[in-house]
Amino acid sequence: MITRDTESAPASGEVLRQTANAQPVLAVYDVTKRFGGATALSGVDFELLPGEIHGLVGENGAGKSTLVKILSGVQRPDQGEVRMHGDIVRFRSPADAMSHGIGMIFQELSMMPALTVAENVFLGRQPTNRFGLVDWKTINAEAARQMAEFGINIDVTDRLGHLSLGNQQLVEITRVINSGADIIILDEPTSAISVPEAQRLFELMRELKARGKTLIFISHFLEDVLEISDRVTVLKNSRKVATLPASELSKPKLIELMIGKDATDLTDSYQHAIRLPPESESLPMLTVDGLTAKGEFQDISFTVHQGEILGLFGYLGAGMTEVARALFGTVRTQSGTIVLGGEAIRPKSPSNAKRLGIAYLTENRRATLFPKQEIYKNVTLAHLDHLVKPVFRHPSEVRITETLIERTGVRPRNAVMRAGHLSGGNQQKVVLAKWLTKQPKLLILNEPTRGMDVGAKREVLDLVKELRAEGVSILLLSTEPETILAESDRILVMCKGKITKEFVNQEVSKEDLLLYA
Amino acid sequence: MGNMSPAVSPHQSNETFVDVVLRFASRNARLLAPLLTLITMFTFFSFTTEVFLTKRNLQNVVTQVSPIAVAAVGVTFVLLCAEIDLSIASISTFTGVLAAYFWVGDTIDLGAWGILVAALVAAGLGLVNGFFIAYVGIPSFMMTLAMLTIASGLAVYVTKGRPIFQVPDILRTVGSAGNLFLGIPVIGIVAASALLIGHIILAYTRFGRQVYMTGGNREAAQMSGIDTRRVLMLVMMIAGFSAGITGMLFIGRLASANPSAGTNVLIDTIAAVVLGGTSLFGGEGGMLNTLMGLLIFAVLSNGLNLLPNLSIYFKEALTGIILLAALLLNVLALRLENVQRRTE
Repeated sequence: MITRDTESAPASGEVLRQTANAQPVLAVYDVTKRFGGATALSGVDFELLPGEIHGLVGENGAGKSTLVKILSGVQRPDQGEVRMHGDIVRFRSPADAMSHGIGMIFQELSMMPALTVAENVFLGRQPTNRFGLVDWKTINAEAARQMAEFGINIDVTDRLGHLSLGNQQLVEITRVINSGADIIILDEPTSAISVPEAQRLFELMRELKARGKTLIFISHFLEDVLEISDRVTVLKNSRKVATLPASELSKPKLIELMIGKDATDLTDSYQHAIRLPPESESLPMLTVDGLTAKGEFQDISFTVHQGEILGLFGYLGAGMTEVARALFGTVRTQSGTIVLGGEAIRPKSPSNAKRLGIAYLTENRRATLFPKQEIYKNVTLAHLDHLVKPVFRHPSEVRITETLIERTGVRPRNAVMRAGHLSGGNQQKVVLAKWLTKQPKLLILNEPTRGMDVGAKREVLDLVKELRAEGVSILLLSTEPETILAESDRILVMCKGKITKEFVNQEVSKEDLLLYA
Repeated sequence: MGNMSPAVSPHQSNETFVDVVLRFASRNARLLAPLLTLITMFTFFSFTTEVFLTKRNLQNVVTQVSPIAVAAVGVTFVLLCAEIDLSIASISTFTGVLAAYFWVGDTIDLGAWGILVAALVAAGLGLVNGFFIAYVGIPSFMMTLAMLTIASGLAVYVTKGRPIFQVPDILRTVGSAGNLFLGIPVIGIVAASALLIGHIILAYTRFGRQVYMTGGNREAAQMSGIDTRRVLMLVMMIAGFSAGITGMLFIGRLASANPSAGTNVLIDTIAAVVLGGTSLFGGEGGMLNTLMGLLIFAVLSNGLNLLPNLSIYFKEALTGIILLAALLLNVLALRLENVQRRTE
């Protein structure tokens, strides 16, 4: 058996080894998948050995999701083969893969919160008694027995929706096992749950491994991957870099493999360290001290100066979005203070935060755009009262909008077009224009350039710098290290609800960021 | 008017007249489909009956539809917010009864001031609806169902179940069919004013814009800093108030206030608004649509009465069938709009 290394010269020069001589339970060879013009996977080999926990890591867009979608029958490869126990298989659907014993746990759980735990465990396969009615006794007893066997202490007659997210995940895993899965794929299972819950999840994973199940574990949290996995496969730019035993890896080593040091990547990512300027000497615009929201983030303290871009880096589930939402009045905080422009504030709602001079561009475009309304109605909405008289006429609105979408670079520059007709990048520019109708004191940008092409990205980021020059304080949230490095004056890294590092007036590289995330 | 998108906007100029017309039609399908229905019906009844197109009959059409037109103004606001108000008929009845009760003055004598008090009570009941829906979180369907029972119960309680045969003079004057101003029934002018005010609010004020946005995408409206709960509460209050005015117009027209009257108001009003093309899912439609829907409704029920060979017993079923056909036309037109949009 050969694990072909698709990178001609891996940076590490690591010699690839197999940990066991057993035949893989599931494997893909030379798999390629394209979406339109973009290649998501290119000539990837991947072998899953029986009874192992296999970590799968890589940056956003490296191809992890595509690989597991192929393994679980959601997508079919354009080229290459999938083998189970050495035989070529073609999964027609997720249900087909399931019937081969492959179960997938998605980030978004796919269960029924209104049903009981036991009902969920037996979802779609309820046993019936001799009258053809659902056999509740068996369902409850069986579900309870299985949960107990895995050491999960949950009342199976409780509604699933009453459980914490972590416990719901344990139930989902029980359900997948119960429907006969031998191979379980977990996609970012720890990003939305607390640390003790993650530990419980790991216990269950070890228990399953002891019972001969095979698991694939995808995560951005490299410590977690190293803690739980037997072997780790690293993907980069839709290719496989290496598969290595976890015992031979460390976090810096993994990061190096994920980012790579080869020259070809220099153009599209920040390999070299950038030099951050000294801390701004202008007045602080926003000072957050000891802000805590139970279950979301703890003891968050930072300052944003006037005319400064503070970058906030972390992975999904690190709590960045929650901090932003707390500033915008949609997440309740238990303790801590927020001072904006010298005044202590407690944003109670978005309308309240807006009046205080805070603007928030959410990461979720669906939550910001009115696709069926004209562009000008989208743009003028947030500050109608400043823009127009109580009883207004549309032409003035359209004029104001035309100036603003000119500035943000919306194309076509047609204010009476419906916003839903625009491309994604242009929709984002419309949402940005909305918050520029009245200059905010603090502009919070959550993933402002996600999914944009390079040109549009540049335009938006140039505009952000322009706003900084005008004295606007900007809090930039992103899970993309490149965006953070390219735009920030100062950088904070968040991990699991806490600020883990501040970078100021120093050299900083992508590796440094990943190390603390 | 404000709801029409301009047909000729910055676009390439090498398109034919047909293209321009098609695009205009697809963009305004929500308004043009009911307009087409209305024109068709109007033409049909004009040719098939002798009476329909007489001045007297058209005045009749206006008088018949005017009371519910006012309630329809409020319902339009509610549907634009993607909510529902089932209590309008009961609030309307209760308000009418209350105005008459204060006028008669057996227990409390307020004279014509009773009209104002009753209108405020109607707005208050709407406000109660709005408070529980927006701030407590009771679904509007359930809340207004409860209010339906409460308001009609109160109407029975106030009158002890008996009709009141005296109504304020001013309401009788406004409501009587023979009272014309420049050949138009005064009650129709009242209804038209309500529609006009509603249109101005929806199309030309901040609040109106907030109503559309709250209904179109509530989360986005919230994240744009709109106080969506306040918007919702005010919308329910407007619905209660306009239902109250409807109740007064009814007692004026009938010259009596009956606590068990007005049960058709609910279905007729909502049907008229939806028929006009305002979406039940919020954010789309408007007062022009409602005007269209009301006229379709009025012309249809009036015209069918005039048809010489139609069995009176079949009339109701036929009304339903024609309404269904009109709704189908609306749905088809919107589908056309979506197809056109994708090819743009």
